[in-house]
Amino acid sequence: MNKLILSILLFSNLSLATDGNGGNNHISIIMFILFVSVTLFITYWASKRSSTADGFYTAGGNISGLQNGLAISGDFMSAASFLGISGLVYLTGFDGLIYSIGFLIGWPIILLLIAEPLRNLGKYSFADVVSFRLNQRPIRILAACGSLSTVILYLIAQMVGAGKLIEILFGLPYYSAVMIVGGLMILYVTFGGMLATTWVQIIKAILLLFGATVIALLVLFQFNFDLNLFLNEATSIHKKGITILSPGGLISDPISAVSLGLALMFGTAGLPHILMRFFTVPNAIQARKSVAYATGFIGYFYLLTFIIGFGAIILISNNPAYLDTSNTLIGGNNMAAIHLADAVGGEILLGFISAVAFATILAVVSGLTLAGASAISHDLYANAFLKGKQSEKNEMLVSKLATILLGILTIYLGIIFQNQNVAFMVGLAFAIAASANFPLLLLSIYWRKLTTRGAVIGGSLGLFSAITFVVLGPVVWVDILGNSSPIFPYKYPALFSMTITFITIWIICTFDKSENGYKEIKKFDSQYFRSQTGIGIDSKTTH
Amino acid sequence: MKSNYKDQLNVLIKLRSKIIRPLLFLTITPYFFFIGVIAFKPEMFSPLIFDTNISLGIFLGLVLILLIFIITLIYVYLANKFIEPQISAIKNNE
Repeated sequence: MNKLILSILLFSNLSLATDGNGGNNHISIIMFILFVSVTLFITYWASKRSSTADGFYTAGGNISGLQNGLAISGDFMSAASFLGISGLVYLTGFDGLIYSIGFLIGWPIILLLIAEPLRNLGKYSFADVVSFRLNQRPIRILAACGSLSTVILYLIAQMVGAGKLIEILFGLPYYSAVMIVGGLMILYVTFGGMLATTWVQIIKAILLLFGATVIALLVLFQFNFDLNLFLNEATSIHKKGITILSPGGLISDPISAVSLGLALMFGTAGLPHILMRFFTVPNAIQARKSVAYATGFIGYFYLLTFIIGFGAIILISNNPAYLDTSNTLIGGNNMAAIHLADAVGGEILLGFISAVAFATILAVVSGLTLAGASAISHDLYANAFLKGKQSEKNEMLVSKLATILLGILTIYLGIIFQNQNVAFMVGLAFAIAASANFPLLLLSIYWRKLTTRGAVIGGSLGLFSAITFVVLGPVVWVDILGNSSPIFPYKYPALFSMTITFITIWIICTFDKSENGYKEIKKFDSQYFRSQTGIGIDSKTTH
Repeated sequence: MKSNYKDQLNVLIKLRSKIIRPLLFLTITPYFFFIGVIAFKPEMFSPLIFDTNISLGIFLGLVLILLIFIITLIYVYLANKFIEPQISAIKNNE
């Protein structure tokens, strides 16, 4: 661990040496090293408590509702959503709000339908819930495929964004940025498990909320906290004028609108790294609380990004210090929040926000990696291939190997996707989550007639169709692969792929008269009882 | 004892859906209304309200963010007040 800190120090000296544009890097590097030291210390502390499977996957189940709420909001407030949404508001005004609301609307759905039954039925991963009364092996394999595709797509998007951001902020070469992020992430997760990942996430969430609040307050201060005056100033400066206050071109046709709406609304409830967080709290009461806290923090955070985006329009869009020769922001529109920090708070705030952005990336990729590793070790290895007959020690070993493997894979993918457009990947991850993971989870909890046959065929078709529609759609088929017209005409597949999943499952289950299917239906009542009351969970979590 | 147990469970399930359904409705309808306006009649969101520079779309968007948070608060409140005692009753009966 000391070696790693040393090498980071070395890297940062290198970047100081190569950095030509002023001293702001000193502050951000000091702050970043402070963050890394603290989190590595936490990892060391957590490593003693993460030696059991329960400690590794769920932090021993002792995280409180407030702590988990902060950690969940940390998972959601990625650098992509902080910089991306404030950048989108800066560019388009109102349209940024559509995304903010879309990312928030999934939370009541999770709270009302998923959180409590998930906590009451599952142990380490959402596949525990889906396979509760169904055939372990096929369901686990399918759920793991759903988890891993969501996690890996998300990881690639985060990693490429991270490399580019760090390149701009710290002057580090892309490759070393990707490797530092990957290396630290492997350390956090293999040694500290869920406990370290949760605390890294909590610290970062607090820092990010604090930093964004300071920027927003400093911006509003300049307008005497008069929202009216503030918006008036923004519309008079922005080249699109008053139209930035109403819907622009983000969504043009009704089908895309509904499709994107569905993916955002139900996708959140199918993201494995989010679902996994509900196993870290002791019971359904805390699970419930954590969603309310998380929704509050995330909602507040989106209000801040909205103020930051409009603030950037007013304070930096006309300031030559932040524009390049073609009159766009240095580093692109996603740098709006970073430049604004400098404009309102000078180099101290700039340094702080840069360090927080880096910390954010680290925390988010760690959470994702842990979810991916648990899909490999808990679902695929321990339950699908060894049918639960392995020792816990072996499962732990596999989970650590899986973490390292995923870390290396992520670094590799981050490098090969360096110059690709990866923005669609998060959208695809949401589409898969909404079309495969979410329907399986929802129906296994609430629909008596769900059988293994229906779940496996319907879930696979949902997963497969979401991917196929995106690959054949305008973003990949035309923009990336260079074909002239898309085979599938819409950008967002969820409306179609979700329909395919639900209808297939319904048809297959209705006609499934097999003996196994009959047995699975009969087990529904006792599962439903447990999912509603939580009775039975204590005996399962004690080893 | 056994039938009593089943009755209690039924009460719990009914209670839960009585709380969850309206809240679910309150989540899904405004959201798809919002998305629907953007898709079908975006100009409806353009007018400025109350002699300010705040457009109807931005106003409703911010209200929607607040509403989402309030829905989670209402559910936590109702669940702790009504659902939890019912679950405890079933647990004690077991």
